[in-house]
Amino acid sequence: MTTLKKKEQTFLIDLLDFQDSLNGNSEFVDNVRMKGADEVRNTPFPHSKDEEWRFISLRDLYSDSYQHVSVLEEKDPDLRDYFLPECANSRLVFINGVFSIKHSSVEALPDDIVIDSLARLAASDNPLVKEHLNKYTTFEGDVFSSFSDAFLQDGAFIYVPKGRKIDTPIHLLFVQTEADITYFTTSHSVIVADEGSEITVVEDHIGLGDNKYFNLPVVEVSAGKEAYVKHTKIQRDSQEAIHIARTSAFVEKHANYESYTITIGAKLSRNEPRISQRDEEVKFTVDGLVLIDGEQVSDTHSVMDHRFPHCESHQLHKCVIIDKAHSVFNGKIFVRPHAQKIDSFQENRNLLLSRKGLVNTKPQLEIFADDVVCTHGATIGQLDEEEVFYLKSRGLNEKQAKELLIYAFALETIENITVDSVQKLLVDEVHNFTERQLHSEFTI
Amino acid sequence: MLKIKDLHAVVEEDGSEILKGVNLTINKGEVHAIMGPNGSGKSTLSKVVAGHPAYEVTAGDILFEGESILELDPEERAHKGIFLAFQYPVEVPGVTNKTLLRQAYNTIAKAQGKEELDPIEFEDYVAERMEVVEMRPEFLERSVNAGFSGGEKKRNEIFQMAVLNPKLSFLDETDSGLDIDALKVVAEGINQISGKENSIVMVTHYQRILDYIVPDHVHVMVDGRIVKSGEKDLALKLEEQGYDWLAEIPSAAVNGQK
Ligand SMILES: Nc1ncnc2c1ncn2[C@@H]1O[C@H](COP(=O)(O)OP(=O)(O)O)[C@@H](O)[C@H]1O
Ligand SMILES: [Mg+2]
Repeated sequence: MTTLKKKEQTFLIDLLDFQDSLNGNSEFVDNVRMKGADEVRNTPFPHSKDEEWRFISLRDLYSDSYQHVSVLEEKDPDLRDYFLPECANSRLVFINGVFSIKHSSVEALPDDIVIDSLARLAASDNPLVKEHLNKYTTFEGDVFSSFSDAFLQDGAFIYVPKGRKIDTPIHLLFVQTEADITYFTTSHSVIVADEGSEITVVEDHIGLGDNKYFNLPVVEVSAGKEAYVKHTKIQRDSQEAIHIARTSAFVEKHANYESYTITIGAKLSRNEPRISQRDEEVKFTVDGLVLIDGEQVSDTHSVMDHRFPHCESHQLHKCVIIDKAHSVFNGKIFVRPHAQKIDSFQENRNLLLSRKGLVNTKPQLEIFADDVVCTHGATIGQLDEEEVFYLKSRGLNEKQAKELLIYAFALETIENITVDSVQKLLVDEVHNFTERQLHSEFTI
Repeated sequence: MLKIKDLHAVVEEDGSEILKGVNLTINKGEVHAIMGPNGSGKSTLSKVVAGHPAYEVTAGDILFEGESILELDPEERAHKGIFLAFQYPVEVPGVTNKTLLRQAYNTIAKAQGKEELDPIEFEDYVAERMEVVEMRPEFLERSVNAGFSGGEKKRNEIFQMAVLNPKLSFLDETDSGLDIDALKVVAEGINQISGKENSIVMVTHYQRILDYIVPDHVHVMVDGRIVKSGEKDLALKLEEQGYDWLAEIPSAAVNGQK
C-alpha cells in the first residue's frame, strides 16, 4: 500500500488520540485496543492506487472529520418496525454501537448457549471472550480491522455448545440513529458454533435517518466440526453512510457455513467476506444480492480459501444497478496445493438498468491443485427484451414487467434465506427499490 | 374484428423487409388458419400484430375493431383483447404462473373497466380455467415456462389464453411439440374458449391440428404475402402437394407488385 497524502490520513489518525482517552472496563479489551492502535499508527490507510481499492474512491470517507459515536446522547428510537417476529425473544439490539438491554431478549434460546453483549461479557472477565475474540479472522495487516480493534467497544457474542441445534433464528440488530454530527461507529461480533451445533443468525444494519456516518462492523464466525451456521447479513444503512465491513468465517471438518449478504443501503459500502476452509470435507456458500441506485457504490471483495481436500463452495453474487450506481465485484478463489477434489462455483451476475451505471467485475482464481472443478463467470446485462415483450403481451405495462423481472432476478438469492420474515422484508425492499425508479430515467 | 391492409414490416435492426403487403380480414367468431413454409413470415405477422418492438411497420395498417393499433404498445393491445400464443414461449424464471396470470388478468380487467379479482377469487377462477386444458394445479406455483418441455410450454400458452379470455388470439404453431393426446386436449380447450365472440388465427404448417379445430378460412403465406386463401380443403391440398405449386403463382396475382 502506498502512503496517503498527509491531509487524507489525518482524519482517522486524529481519532486515535481520542482512543487513548477511552477507558475499557477490562484489561483484556484495553490490550486489544492498544495493540490495534499501534497497528493503525504503523499502517497507511488504503487509497485508490492500491490494487485492492482501485475501482472505488475513498474520498467520501477521508474528506470528513468524524467524532466517535459515544459523544452522542443516548437515544431510544421506536424499533418495532424492524423486529422480526421469529426473533421476538432471540434478539440483541445495539443502538449507536451501544448494547440496548431494553430492546434485547434471549428468552427463547436455551440456557446453555452464551449470547450477550461482548462488552458485558468482557467486563465480567468471561473466559470465552479471551478464548475466541480475534481467533477466526484472516485480516492480518488490514488497517480497518486494526482500527476496529483500537476502538473495540461492543458487539454480539454468541457461543453455541457442542451438539446444540437451535431452530430459533437470532436477530442481531445494529441501529444507527439520526445525528447532527458526523460520527463513526464500530462493532465486533463473534459467533462460535461448537462441534455438531446449528445456528441461524440475521445480522441487520439499519440507519434510521439519512445522515452521514461511518460504520465499521467486524464479524468473525467459527463453524466447528460438523456444525451448520446460516448467516444472513442485511445492510440497510443510511443513504449517506459509509459501511466498511470485515467478515470472516473458519469452517471446520464436515461443517457448513451458508451466508447471504444483502446490500441495499449506504452511499459507499465495502464487504469483504473471507471464508477459510480449516479441514477436509466442508461446504460453504457466500451468496450476495446488491440493489443500488442514485450514486451508491457497492464493492464486494471476497476470498474463498480452499486449504484442504474435498470442499464444495458456492458464490452467486447478483447486483441490480440503476441510475449512476456503481458495483464492484472481486472474487478470489484460492485452491492451495494438495487441496484436491474442490468443487467451486462462482458467478457474478449484474443487471445494469441505466446508461450511467457502472460495473467492474473481476473473478480471480489462484489454483495450485490439479484435481479441481472451478466454474466461474460474470455477466453484465439488461433486462431481456423478449421477456419484457412476453410480459407486456400479457397486459403488463413497462413498469410492471420490469418490476417483475427485477424481482425474479433478486428472488434467486432471497428464496434461500430460511427466515420467512426476512424473505418478506427483502421482497418489500425489492419492491421499494423498483418503485423508486418510477420517476427516474431508467432505460433498457 | 381485425383488418390488416397492405402491411409491410421490416426488421428494425437491419431494415430487411419481412412482410411485403399482407391483406387479411378476420370477423368476429371466425377461425382462420395461416399456413406456409418456414421463413415465410407467419410468426413475424403474429408478432407485429402483438406489437413486438423488433419490427417496424413501414406501410399499411392494422385495424382492430375499426381502429388502428399501430401506435399502441403491446400491453395496450393486450388490454384491447389481443393475445399471442408464442411459437417459442419465453421462460421467465422466478416469476410463477400464478403471479403473472393474476397480474395480467387484473391489469387487463382494470383497463377494460371490469372487476379485478382478489387472490381468493382469482384462485377459484383459475381452478376452473385450468380444467379447460387439463392443467395440474402444481403448475401454478412453477416459474413461467422455466424448465417446461416444449409441449408443456404450448399448453401453458393456451392456459393463459383461457384465463385472459381474449377477443382475438394468434396461436403460433401451438400444435408443434405436442404429442397426439396433448394435441387433442389442447385443441378441445381451444374449441371451448372460442365462440361467437372470439376469433382465432392458427398459424401452422401442418394440417394435423385442423382435424380438431376446423377453420372457416385457410390462407397460405409465402415470402411475406398471403398468396392464396380458401376453405378447409385448401389445407388438405397443401398437406398432399406441399407449397411448391404455389411458388408458381406470382405474387403479382395478389397485389400487383413484385
Ligand atoms: N427479429 C428478426 N431479425 C432478423 N430476421 C428476422 C427476425 N424475425 C424474422 N426474421 C426473418 O424473417 C423471416 C420470416 O421469419 P418468421 O416470421 O419467423 O417465419 P415463419 O414463422 O413463417 O417460419 C425469416 O427469414 C427470419 O429469419
Ligand atoms: Mg414461425
